[in-house]
Amino acid sequence: MNKTKRFLIVLAVLAVAFAFLFPSIQWYYLTPKEEQSLALGSREAIRDYAWRMARVDLADLESKVKAGDESPLGDRYDDFVAAAKKAYKELRMDAPAAWSAKAALAAYDNRTDALTELESLYRQRILKLKNLHGSAVQLGLDLSGGMSIVIRADLEALAERAGRDLSPAERDDAVVRAVEILNGRIDRFGLTEPVIRRQGEDRIYVEIPGAADPERINGIIMGRGRLAFHIVDEEATARLRDYLAVNPDGIDEQFRVADPTIVPAGFVARRFYRKDAYGLDEWTGAYMVITAEPGLDGNHIESATVGSDAITGQPEVLFSLDAKGGEMFYQLTSANVNKTMAVVLDDRVRTGARISGPIQASVRITGFGAEEANNLALILRSAALPVELLVESQQAIGSSLGEDAIRQGVNAVAIALIAVFAFMLLYYKGAGVNASLAQVLNLYLMLSILSAFNLTLTLPAIAGFVLTLGMSVDANVIIFERIKEELREGKGRKAAVEAGFGKAFWAIMDSNITTIIAALFLAQLGTGPIQGFAVSLAIGNMSSLFTSLFVSRLLFDFNTDMFKRNTMSISWRVK
Amino acid sequence: MKRLVRFHKAFLPAAIVSAALVLFSVFGLATKGFNLGVDFQAGVNEYVQLAYPVGTMRYAGGSTARLSIGDTTLSVVFTGDDAQSRTARWNLATVGTIADLAAALRAEGVEFAVRDGAGLAAALLVPTYQGDFVLSAAAVPVHRRARDANEVFGSVEEIRAAVGSVGSVAVQDVGGRESMQYVIRVGDDGSDPAFGSTVPAAIDRALEAAFGAGRVVTMRTDFVGARFSKDLANNSWKLFLMTLAVIMIYASVRFKVQYAAGAVLAIVHDVAIMIGFMVWTRMEFNTTSIAAILTILGYSINDTIVIFDRIREDHKLNPTDSMTTIIDKSITETLGRTIITTATTLLAVFALYFFTSGSIKDFALALVVGMVSGTYSTIFIASGFVGLWDSVAAKRRAKAEGQVGAATAR
Repeated sequence: MNKTKRFLIVLAVLAVAFAFLFPSIQWYYLTPKEEQSLALGSREAIRDYAWRMARVDLADLESKVKAGDESPLGDRYDDFVAAAKKAYKELRMDAPAAWSAKAALAAYDNRTDALTELESLYRQRILKLKNLHGSAVQLGLDLSGGMSIVIRADLEALAERAGRDLSPAERDDAVVRAVEILNGRIDRFGLTEPVIRRQGEDRIYVEIPGAADPERINGIIMGRGRLAFHIVDEEATARLRDYLAVNPDGIDEQFRVADPTIVPAGFVARRFYRKDAYGLDEWTGAYMVITAEPGLDGNHIESATVGSDAITGQPEVLFSLDAKGGEMFYQLTSANVNKTMAVVLDDRVRTGARISGPIQASVRITGFGAEEANNLALILRSAALPVELLVESQQAIGSSLGEDAIRQGVNAVAIALIAVFAFMLLYYKGAGVNASLAQVLNLYLMLSILSAFNLTLTLPAIAGFVLTLGMSVDANVIIFERIKEELREGKGRKAAVEAGFGKAFWAIMDSNITTIIAALFLAQLGTGPIQGFAVSLAIGNMSSLFTSLFVSRLLFDFNTDMFKRNTMSISWRVK
Repeated sequence: MKRLVRFHKAFLPAAIVSAALVLFSVFGLATKGFNLGVDFQAGVNEYVQLAYPVGTMRYAGGSTARLSIGDTTLSVVFTGDDAQSRTARWNLATVGTIADLAAALRAEGVEFAVRDGAGLAAALLVPTYQGDFVLSAAAVPVHRRARDANEVFGSVEEIRAAVGSVGSVAVQDVGGRESMQYVIRVGDDGSDPAFGSTVPAAIDRALEAAFGAGRVVTMRTDFVGARFSKDLANNSWKLFLMTLAVIMIYASVRFKVQYAAGAVLAIVHDVAIMIGFMVWTRMEFNTTSIAAILTILGYSINDTIVIFDRIREDHKLNPTDSMTTIIDKSITETLGRTIITTATTLLAVFALYFFTSGSIKDFALALVVGMVSGTYSTIFIASGFVGLWDSVAAKRRAKAEGQVGAATAR
């Protein structure tokens, strides 16, 4: 391979590495803290933010129109103006000279359209930031602060209660239900989006970055999920909707409405949720006004399954109640025929169904898609067969300790780098420059690989990097020592470089491959710090193979051919 | 040509010294055992800071305000609609007294009601260890550390007495008595399924009863269940043995069985030495320690393979030379590289040791021991084993040939 080709390969690698690294730079250095804070929030918090902001903005725009304000809109509405411009183009209307509130709103048929547009603009902006965060290097809990919890679903207790051994499908179903309940509850934190993962058969791993207060977390994990049936007040629901359209701040976090005349006594407002594309709870943006007291408690449910209507083939959810529950349900439904009944889990309205007539023990709910039916059945079953959750392990790291850790880690990396540079330059003189350059590249490549594979940077991983910095010098040292040997035997610069690299090749390959195999193996099987460390070690070894065998060689060859160097600056003794 | 250093002469004494060291390690492990960290020991580790309550913070504005107090800065991040989102930040070292800070916060709409210590430096404020606080109309308590030695209260003995009722308790101070930070460890025997949540609450209650309400700040709580810690310990062993097997296979394929065996022997030696060091210095054994052992595993194998590669090469170049000569030659030739690599890696490890704290500092210290042992074992254990194997094999061959010769003579 000639030098130009090799040089182009190096450039290409550098460019690709930069592309991978860019999201991290953008997120950690170019995104303001308050935007980060918004983007790190749960999807519900983002939805909530967009909902409020859209209504505030629209009210502002409308007041401007009313006041006859013709001045162009400020920076805050840049996105909205851009969207309006697009709408004008689609409608083949001429763009106005100045984008006043009136001109921008004229792009939309009605209020609702404008509101939807505003809301989606806000939402998209924050979700885009969220995606950016997703493709940046992730900080482990020990660096970002927060807590990790391993929860076990107590399947033995469940089997005991059921009075028989559980089938594998039942065990699986129980853990899925537990994850479902955790998903719903932890999301309400809204501070930062938690990670909830199934781990092995009966364990669930929960990671909450930024928050380290065990009290709050125990509040979520304990308890079984409260399911109940409530009757909906349709009139009040419509009134609340109209009221909130003009007063977006008219409802607080406890769902108390500022105007007391809207929600009648004995009723409360609750949010209505659906599953989003990821199977996570998503607030629909709507509220429902339901009875404060449940019509029927969920612990009367005995079983719930999904079936399909014999005639229409539409999916339906069937559930049966115990004797006492059936009696209560009969009274409830006969008193509320033609009203809507809401299924509420942990204060979230999951679904509403119209009561067509009195129902007793066996209930059939229809009118939704197959997936929704499955979700509802899952929720109903979680009331019938509650799963106890046990905390297996819990580790918390305060975020200020995390900041210290980052600072220390960065310092250690910097000092290690400088020390190694100084040593190499002193000992190997000119060739030390090669080695140092290779080191800088190495660090750069390691970070970009970390970013590319969305790996998590933890303190042990930083330690792994520091160590690889030291170890990857090894490859350079082996080569340089070989070159020196060749020089001692009287070879010229070019021949010595060639022979040095050639002879060192297998020693470097073998030693690195063995380490990489061991590291990859550990990364596959290990967990937590072991994994982070092993991954960084493997990455470091691979990138040091590239920098030492490829880049460093190229630098030598460039010096030989471009600058017509015939002597070698590699040692104080050997010339 | 460099002067040949006759390393092989030191193989026997080195083997004796190593055997003694390994035995010493095993003896320590058997008699004293590991100083197991929370990862491996079922129970609760609660880190607490004793402190003085200063006052409370509230925020009544329309946006969400997140308070974060660090060692050097206090920041409030506002996100929401009624004001533009913004971040307010103060340097605690330069902002002045707590009263000055309260005035600055008030200008941002955050009400900091100071009840005690208004004239003291703001740098005394205790960081928000438990993560950021969301400020709301409900009051968030803020604490400060002791102003001087006279204000320091609490001691290991007092805390032990206070929480003695909770269970079998071990108390340790973090960073001396003046820092007023302590770790309280309560072991979990697995009888109470809700141990992880009841015990920290019980500790808090006991401490508040002893030192006064609001004077205890929980920094962090770690809990590991009995089953979890057992699984982790088992997995670690399995991982280690499997890694050895994988290295053994690769080295056998690339080199010869005796090389692979020598490399593995060297690794086992290094791990034994490190474990011995951890056991005898009572260093806490946790997942970071495992990472350290695994690193040395990687380092040692790297080091060993480089020398083996040279032995293989020299053997090919001079097939008639005796193995001991070749080993001596190869080690001599690579000695420069061994010293320089060890030196640079040690530079990096020392950077870790001097610029970090806590478990990473221990990690670095363990690495220093492991690296010294790794470099030593490459030369004297791994190469020595290959030399020994060869001489045994040569003797057997000679014996077999002798027998063949005897047979033909008859």
